[in-house]
Amino acid sequence: MGLLTELKSSISNATSSLFAGSDPKRIGIYGPPNAGKTTLANRIARDWTGDAVGPESHVPHETRRARRKENVEIKRNGKSVTIDVVDTPGVTTKVDYKEFLEHDIEKDDAVRRSREATEGVAEAMHWLREDVDGVIYVLDSTEDPFTQVNTMLIGIIESQNLPVLIFANKIDLDDSSVQRISNAFPQHETVPLSALEGDNMDEVYDKIAEYFG
Amino acid sequence: MPHQCTGCGHTFADGSKEMLSGCPECGGNKFQFRPEGASLPDDPSETDSGAAQSGPDSQEPSPDAEPPEPDGSSSSVAETVGRATTKVRDFVSSDPAEIDSPDPEASWPSEREEAAGSGASGTADPSPDPSPSSGTDDDIIDADARREAVETDEDDAQASARSDVVSDEELDGADAVEGRDPLAGDAAGGLAGSGGEVVSEPSEADPDIAELREQLNDQFESIKIVEPGQYELNLMELYDREEYIIALQENGRYVIQVPEQWIGDQPGDS
Repeated sequence: MGLLTELKSSISNATSSLFAGSDPKRIGIYGPPNAGKTTLANRIARDWTGDAVGPESHVPHETRRARRKENVEIKRNGKSVTIDVVDTPGVTTKVDYKEFLEHDIEKDDAVRRSREATEGVAEAMHWLREDVDGVIYVLDSTEDPFTQVNTMLIGIIESQNLPVLIFANKIDLDDSSVQRISNAFPQHETVPLSALEGDNMDEVYDKIAEYFG
Repeated sequence: MPHQCTGCGHTFADGSKEMLSGCPECGGNKFQFRPEGASLPDDPSETDSGAAQSGPDSQEPSPDAEPPEPDGSSSSVAETVGRATTKVRDFVSSDPAEIDSPDPEASWPSEREEAAGSGASGTADPSPDPSPSSGTDDDIIDADARREAVETDEDDAQASARSDVVSDEELDGADAVEGRDPLAGDAAGGLAGSGGEVVSEPSEADPDIAELREQLNDQFESIKIVEPGQYELNLMELYDREEYIIALQENGRYVIQVPEQWIGDQPGDS
């Protein structure tokens, strides 16, 4: 029961953190694996709190458990917006340990990572159901956004009436196409950025304050 | 405009994602699919020859064609009735002389049945008016109604199809058809009678995203363990579930957390 107790207390902490005046909105960073969610979460956290959220990596599913950075206070135009940033594992419909083998990871470790990643996706999907107040959906703008996972997740988010911002990440790369993403989801605002290079972060924070403040 | 809302007739481009959240006009969630190059069904009350031209070419086998294979497991009684309506109408308007009708001169069932009198009551009548002895007529119904063609209840559907304009008699008849046809469907292999308002085409190509999603949902439970380290995830199912999978075991079992239980089990722990 230790795990359950831990979970329960983490949820109690989350609810008790709501005591102070303005509730921080819990903003989930969702998207497919390797879209740059952790890089973005780290940049937001570093810019406003000085700490990072978690390790970034080129290996898919580096983030296998949702990680939260609480009380990130973003100041925009004299206004202050406090959010909890939740970095989630990349959502996918298939996890295969063989992907990890390509990254020089031993089989046992790969199988373990694969299992953890699967658990992490299950957790992220469950959080989407009841534990987030808004969503930043991060897409790699060098990739085709028309995927089953993206369509399904955006559909779920819409059905929950959650405020959502689409971030077209990796605009520093040559084959990036922001237009392709805004065409794919014309009903939502698409914000171009490079979380790695820090490009266009001003607009990113403007939009976060506007949508989730 | 390959997709059309069956509720209000709003049309959508092929691959349109608008439909995923329901029809923006009426909120309906049933759509019929019509491939490029085929026209949408005409208004049922329309009797001009346009229906006769588009119908046989694009959506129905020609009157002489072999009956389709009886594999349309998804076709409901209502669809069948709808198709039969179109077919019979096409046939009447294209060549009225060939059909064994009480009044071939009439342009459309409402008039015809008023003239014939007993036509509408045929829907509820165990011995309906279309004469089964007419080979031509049987062929039409075979093509339209597929597997039900061999059953006597199909005559009800056929009669109902002829009576497209609602009158009191026909309402009675429709009730009788609805009451009976589900049984016929069961006998024929699990056809479920559904609401009479649905008139949808069998979609023969390009499953759209909504269908793909449904297929995925039906495929497997939340997490399928292909082998240790290989998993397939059903995202909709994971999202929809009350309980929450927190750990996967090597032996293929899950550890799940069911909110009601663990909150109740440890009341003192906070």
